[in-house]
Amino acid sequence: MCGMLSVIFVILIFGFLFVESFTFLKNFGIFRFITGKHWFPASNPPSFGILPLIIGSILITFGACIIAIPISIMSALFISEIAPENLRDFLKFLIELMAAIPSVIIGFIGMIILVPFIKKTFNLSTGLTAFSGSIVLAFMSMPTMISISEDAIHSVPWKYKEGAIALGATKWQTIRKVVLKAAMPGIIAAIMLGIGRIIGETMAVMMVTGNASNIPKTIFVPVRTMTATIAAEMGETVRGSMHYRSLFAIGLILFLITFIINLIADLFLRKIRR
Amino acid sequence: MKLNPKLTQKISYFILFLVTVFAIIPVIIIISVIVKNGLPAITLEFLTSFPKNGIRGGGIFPAIIGTFAIIICSIVIICPIGILAAIYLNEYAGNNLLTKIIKLAIINLANIPSVVYGLFGFSIFVVFLRLGVSIISGALTLSIMELPVIITTTQNALNSVPSSFREASLSLGVSHWQTIRYVVLPSAVPGILTGTILSIARISGETAPILFTAAVFYVPHLPHSIFDQVMILPYHLYITSTNVPYMPQKLVFGIALVLLIMVLTISSISIIIRIYFRKHKKW
Amino acid sequence: MVEKIIVENLNCYYNKNCILDSLNFSILKNEILNIIGPANSGKTTFLRTLNRMNDYNTYYSRNGNIYLDKLNIFNMSVEKLRRRIGMLFAMPIPLPMSIYENIVFAPKCLGLIFEKSKQDYIVECVLKAVFLWNEVKDRLNKSAMEISGGQQQRLCIARILAINPEIILFDEPCSGLDPISTAKVEETIIELKKKYTIVFVTNNVKQASRIGDRTAFFLMGKIIEINKTEEFFISPKQKKTADYISGRFG
Repeated sequence: MCGMLSVIFVILIFGFLFVESFTFLKNFGIFRFITGKHWFPASNPPSFGILPLIIGSILITFGACIIAIPISIMSALFISEIAPENLRDFLKFLIELMAAIPSVIIGFIGMIILVPFIKKTFNLSTGLTAFSGSIVLAFMSMPTMISISEDAIHSVPWKYKEGAIALGATKWQTIRKVVLKAAMPGIIAAIMLGIGRIIGETMAVMMVTGNASNIPKTIFVPVRTMTATIAAEMGETVRGSMHYRSLFAIGLILFLITFIINLIADLFLRKIRR
Repeated sequence: MKLNPKLTQKISYFILFLVTVFAIIPVIIIISVIVKNGLPAITLEFLTSFPKNGIRGGGIFPAIIGTFAIIICSIVIICPIGILAAIYLNEYAGNNLLTKIIKLAIINLANIPSVVYGLFGFSIFVVFLRLGVSIISGALTLSIMELPVIITTTQNALNSVPSSFREASLSLGVSHWQTIRYVVLPSAVPGILTGTILSIARISGETAPILFTAAVFYVPHLPHSIFDQVMILPYHLYITSTNVPYMPQKLVFGIALVLLIMVLTISSISIIIRIYFRKHKKW
Repeated sequence: MVEKIIVENLNCYYNKNCILDSLNFSILKNEILNIIGPANSGKTTFLRTLNRMNDYNTYYSRNGNIYLDKLNIFNMSVEKLRRRIGMLFAMPIPLPMSIYENIVFAPKCLGLIFEKSKQDYIVECVLKAVFLWNEVKDRLNKSAMEISGGQQQRLCIARILAINPEIILFDEPCSGLDPISTAKVEETIIELKKKYTIVFVTNNVKQASRIGDRTAFFLMGKIIEINKTEEFFISPKQKKTADYISGRFG
């Protein structure tokens, strides 16, 4: 019965999002909604194109991945294969702390330290850019990526390593050619879950990206993501209005995106269990 | 030119080490910056009085109380449901289609963006069930969000109890439920506790889901019941750092420090419990 | 002699592989029946079928009947059945509680005893029956995980005695123990014969010749031979039995 609850919740969430956004999607048109280039919900007539938001989300996610993925894999390798026991426990503890820091705090520090820093180094008119968002999100997704990849690397059976070392390979060659390959499905799952976290992150992104709903040409301009749009505008809408329903439609799209990412991650996680 | 494998190994180890340090440094920067700037703001008055001058002065007492109210409410809702669900899934459910669907649902629930939970909570609890923007709406929303985490960690804890304990108990004619109640659960308590406390830490730092379901900018009094709106620390930090002009920075850092201490204390407790029980594990 | 258990046309399967193949035999009251045979011959499956420990395994299926005092065990409630047929596993599995709690746990759950004085009495009785009383009487409240393997195994026997079953199944109870502990456990088992019916599974041929009244030889899920222990070892009727007990295979 209690187990059923989680299924019920998933269905309820989908159902409520769908019902709230249905009339909007029907009247405005899904295609126009997704490909529209202008998000001016308050102007007259309003325009609900979420293409800039989607591109904003994708751009930031992509940037965060480029930063986070190599760092995470390398750190995970170091922590699980190279670091001595004591250091490993300490590093794992720090990573757990990292995961526990609330996103508003990270956003706040990003605003106070990172944003002025980026403004100065790249000589920009504002430091609230997609690039800042990518850095903050990369940092936030690293604990997930590192700890799950670390688990995957750690669970590579000892005999694989022994086999390679017995053939005369150095430990590093073993790690690079054998361990990494064997742990790959787990690492991919870790990356997918990390990406899930990046796309879903709201508060920190809202605080450092500047929230301008333009289609960005470089990573050094302000952007606005789907999550930030919901969080920022929900408070100002009139219940039941087009604008209100359009935010639910964005929620629905986010729900579907994470759903797909999860399915892929789950597929890879299942692969390692075999 | 082919490099000497030994040398390559040394160089690569060093690079990996540097990268790891690079990944860790921001945590240390964040914590030290907040502690350094926030500490001067923390006084008894700051912790125990109401905000003044349109939130730009005074203390954060109502926000602290509001955060605790939400946390306690969520624990009351989530613990029984999450733990019972995990027991059912782990000990009773057969390996059939329904179980598979439930497991898939749990995984998906775990990864839905928190702001989508906020939307959902708003439309079901605040509007549909007419609970309004209130502690209970916020707590329910957070509970649904944390449900998969509690279920998964509890299941892991139950799984780590050796199945031989179950067999030994069952073979004595003890019923299935008594076996779970007196043999499996006591052995799994440390794991369940760790998971639960970690979720509490997460709940206390979350902002997006309570943005439209529980939190408000300012209330001049403490909440009287669970149907009241409240001020909440993470939201307070967000608002003061972005939307309040001429906000004294010292106070913002003070709020950040209080929140950070709260969250890190709660999660450290769970980490310590885990380390303690791992050392004293009897099997 | 009274027939305590009658096995009638029992077939058991794992994943459609036949593990036990049409068994027909009976176990007499107050006897020790040895079951010997090489690994994978179905000994453990048979024991686990007797007190229905395999019921939870989804890969397992069976047909045929087993009667305990003329009652079909597959129609009884499992809890009642297991109260009457206790089982000791190959490895000692003390529950994660104190020595005292380990013994009174099952009787309390089954609603057999409530008063503290009666509990104390039962603990003393069963620990004496397995010759453990003198070794642990001063640390009854210590964790059962802290005593030696041999002591743990005897504690597990004591735990079974506390629910006072009619039949006790032993599944290679000495396989994880050193020779001295083994001797103590064997001594305990022979002592128990006065009150209980015992089924003793082992792959140690010598141990079987020391303990049982009758011995059955399992091979590939079939009973090759069942006979009085002396006759079984001195003049086996089947060639396979003779080969096995003289150590030519298995």
